[in-house]
Amino acid sequence: MTVGMSFNQLSEEEKMTHFLDRINAGEKIEPDDWMPEDYRLQLIRLISMHGISEIMGALPEKEWVPKAPSLHRKLAIMAKVQDEMGHGQLLLRVAEDLMAPLGKNRHDIMEDLFSGKLKFHNVFHMDAPTWGDAGIIAWLVDGAAIISQSMMLDSSYGPYARALKRICAEEVFHAQHGESIILAMAEGTPEQREMLQDSLNRWWESLIMFFGPKSAKETGNSNADKNIMYKIRTKTNEDLRQEFFTKYIPRIWSLGLTIPDDTIRFDEDSQMWIYKDADWSKFKQIVSGNGPQSQNRLDLRRRSYKNNEWVRAALAAKKAI
Amino acid sequence: MNESTSEFYNVYEVFSKKTDKSPFQHSFSLLAPNADMALIMAKENFFRRETVADIWVVKRENIRGLNQDEREMLKRLDKQYRETKGYGYLKKKWRDYNQEQFTEQHILGGRGDNS
Repeated sequence: MTVGMSFNQLSEEEKMTHFLDRINAGEKIEPDDWMPEDYRLQLIRLISMHGISEIMGALPEKEWVPKAPSLHRKLAIMAKVQDEMGHGQLLLRVAEDLMAPLGKNRHDIMEDLFSGKLKFHNVFHMDAPTWGDAGIIAWLVDGAAIISQSMMLDSSYGPYARALKRICAEEVFHAQHGESIILAMAEGTPEQREMLQDSLNRWWESLIMFFGPKSAKETGNSNADKNIMYKIRTKTNEDLRQEFFTKYIPRIWSLGLTIPDDTIRFDEDSQMWIYKDADWSKFKQIVSGNGPQSQNRLDLRRRSYKNNEWVRAALAAKKAI
Repeated sequence: MNESTSEFYNVYEVFSKKTDKSPFQHSFSLLAPNADMALIMAKENFFRRETVADIWVVKRENIRGLNQDEREMLKRLDKQYRETKGYGYLKKKWRDYNQEQFTEQHILGGRGDNS
């Protein structure tokens, strides 16, 4: 910036150059900083989807709180459900500050969820019929989430990076909680092993989908590329998926479990995993609200928002100071 | 959105001390209808596991922070004359007189290691 000149005196073009210089130098952008509209919209899209996914993500696991096989398991999964809601609170706060200049707040986020405008992660549209699913979700779905979230710990947007730092610290417990469940099942009776294998079969394609399509070709948009340019994220969907494979496939095999893809193998030449890609048209269907549990879980969320309206009104009666 | 719902959404900034010896640090922000609820939410949201010795909640609109223009100004202030590094050249000067430059400890005298 020109010496002696106030930031407010810069032209829009100069502000843009200044903004890009800052993110390229590793500086963090704060909510009241000047930012290009496009950057703001990318962040809102990403973070409101992430936040609402945490909240919708608590639902398949919540189903297992009353049915957990022991008191210890019940306490542990209850704590995890509570953590997920807490992560949602953190992330929605970050999204709300970005939306404030557009005249929107949490109420609008909830309305957008209910109307289907705001999407949530494909994995949380799926059934979780057995205790094996509770284990696979905590071990592998959270494992996948840790990979994509830790990539963004150094995100150019300061509040998101700080929220993720808190979230990642708790995700470590979740991963261990998952390992504890799946190892108990893997070392259990033949029925328990079979139940675990069934869950893995059920979740595998969802896990492939979790990271999103390889390139813009599959979905026709390039949000991932834009987010890399803005240093919101640093790796592509495929980089993350490959990282997930390298981290988890050897472990899955070490337990004697079978991955429901007989083409999967590590190719030494390209140093990449070769695998059967997901059906991306099915993915689009699922995230558009047509997954097996999409409407049930949205209904549950709608009902609780409506039923608790009187609580919000009662609490608001005491004036804020 | 009706009026009671809009009053529900106030932004509070949360500050906390990890131990009684540590300074207050910014923890995060949250939405609450009033300060009492903000304290309850802060405990639930941020201190389920971490230890905490004290918590403050402050309604965001009561905080006067710097705006970007003012923050950018901070980067451009030369304050070397207020800092040790602005006086680094003294070391060579004193050497010309066969003297070692006093360290911070020496200058503070009795409060250093020799006390």
